[in-house]
Amino acid sequence: MSPSLPARARLGPFASQLRARCSNNAVPGRTIISSSASPATEPAPDSLDKPQGSRRKPLSAAQKQFLDRALRVNQAGELAATLIYTAQAPPINKAHPHLRPLMKHMYDQEAGHFKYFNEILAKHRIRPTAMYPMWSAAATVLGWSTGVLGREAAMACTEAVETEIGEHYNGQVRELLGWVEGMEARGEEVGEELQGLVKQIRRIRDEELEHLDHAVENDAKQANPYELLTGVIRVGCRGAIWVSEKV
Amino acid sequence: MALRTILRAPAAVRPLLIQPRALYHSYEHNEPPPYRDAESAILSSALAHVPLHGFTEEALSLGAKEAGYLDISSNLFPKGAFDLVTYHLVTQRLGLKDRIQFHDEKIGVGRKVRSLVLERLRANVDAGVVGRWQEALALMSLGENIPRSLKELSGLSDEIWFLAGDMSVDTSWYTKRATLAGIYAATEIYQTTDQSTEFRDTEQFLDRRLEESRVAGSAVGNTLEWIGFQGGAMVNLMRSKGARI
Repeated sequence: MSPSLPARARLGPFASQLRARCSNNAVPGRTIISSSASPATEPAPDSLDKPQGSRRKPLSAAQKQFLDRALRVNQAGELAATLIYTAQAPPINKAHPHLRPLMKHMYDQEAGHFKYFNEILAKHRIRPTAMYPMWSAAATVLGWSTGVLGREAAMACTEAVETEIGEHYNGQVRELLGWVEGMEARGEEVGEELQGLVKQIRRIRDEELEHLDHAVENDAKQANPYELLTGVIRVGCRGAIWVSEKV
Repeated sequence: MALRTILRAPAAVRPLLIQPRALYHSYEHNEPPPYRDAESAILSSALAHVPLHGFTEEALSLGAKEAGYLDISSNLFPKGAFDLVTYHLVTQRLGLKDRIQFHDEKIGVGRKVRSLVLERLRANVDAGVVGRWQEALALMSLGENIPRSLKELSGLSDEIWFLAGDMSVDTSWYTKRATLAGIYAATEIYQTTDQSTEFRDTEQFLDRRLEESRVAGSAVGNTLEWIGFQGGAMVNLMRSKGARI
């Protein structure tokens, strides 16, 4: 904890969250890691680009648990994202026909992510979240209500969701890259599974951040009341991530 | 911290909650075996004594003796006969994938589930424990053993769906596992009283249960689909009338 940070970051009620944002290290016992650091500063281990055989040494229990939780949250997040866009599209497309290609483009990408995580969950025998029906309903209501509120509100919703999700993926990518670096340093092979996972999550993270840019370009900041809307959605996202890790 | 302590489930209930089972199954390396060599030597030779001596401490100590350990070695197993039961359950669950292979890709998931359940029940016959299985069920239903038994049952159900190649990762993941666990438990109890040749009655019993769950499942699915369709049609109708929703 550097003393140069403002007092709010050290002493305020959200001090622990701010601290977690500032440090990218996973604290033992908690797996929600999100990072707002720029993707350009993340490590780039060589073995990600080399062809990998299969890894002989099992992952540690903590690593498996991290993957179990993280992938479950990712699937739940993509489920919510596809439903938000599905619900937003009709009112937005009707009021602003020029946004139709953008909405379709974002939906198609989210649907691709959702399909990828569905396959990964089934393949690695990871339990989906028990809150599945709840998140489906919540995401549809959120998407529909912001869609009806208008273009700015819908874009503010996209901005808030993609900020949280982007930071969440960013933290994951950093954690996984950290593992890869550690494995390289110990002279172990990384394995095809982990390599594929890191590459895919990194690609998905980049696409989510691209959606964030689209949202800001389309006047997300003009939404009224902007602070309240994005604040509520972001807190909701964080809560949903926390719950989905557990159940 | 204090809040977390308060919110934590009481110690007695914790084993009943959803336990992180096989977290992140990897295809690149094998899972470590569930039992150590000595344990597995004693338990497997003890299991050979079950048809004669039942699931008892006696079978356990005979097994220890036969495997070349002292009689007292059965103290390795604090739960006594129940450890013998769990050994059978765990090894048969893990051995299921080697007992049956599906070469024909065209077999549906439902048929695969049926074959897997029958194969698992046949494993009880092959191990020669069917005649003594009611003792095992009695042990499993003791209060202190229930969490472990349920965990093992859900583990088996999960294993069967996985081996059958089921890919669903939504709410049906839970309903499928719960339904199959119920069906399996009922069929296994039926098997212990089955007098027919080659357990044909058990097979028919299983077929009836699977058919019931299929009918119930498709009724629920059709109803939900109908509700969803009507809801969507209603929204589209209102949109076409000019409502801004």
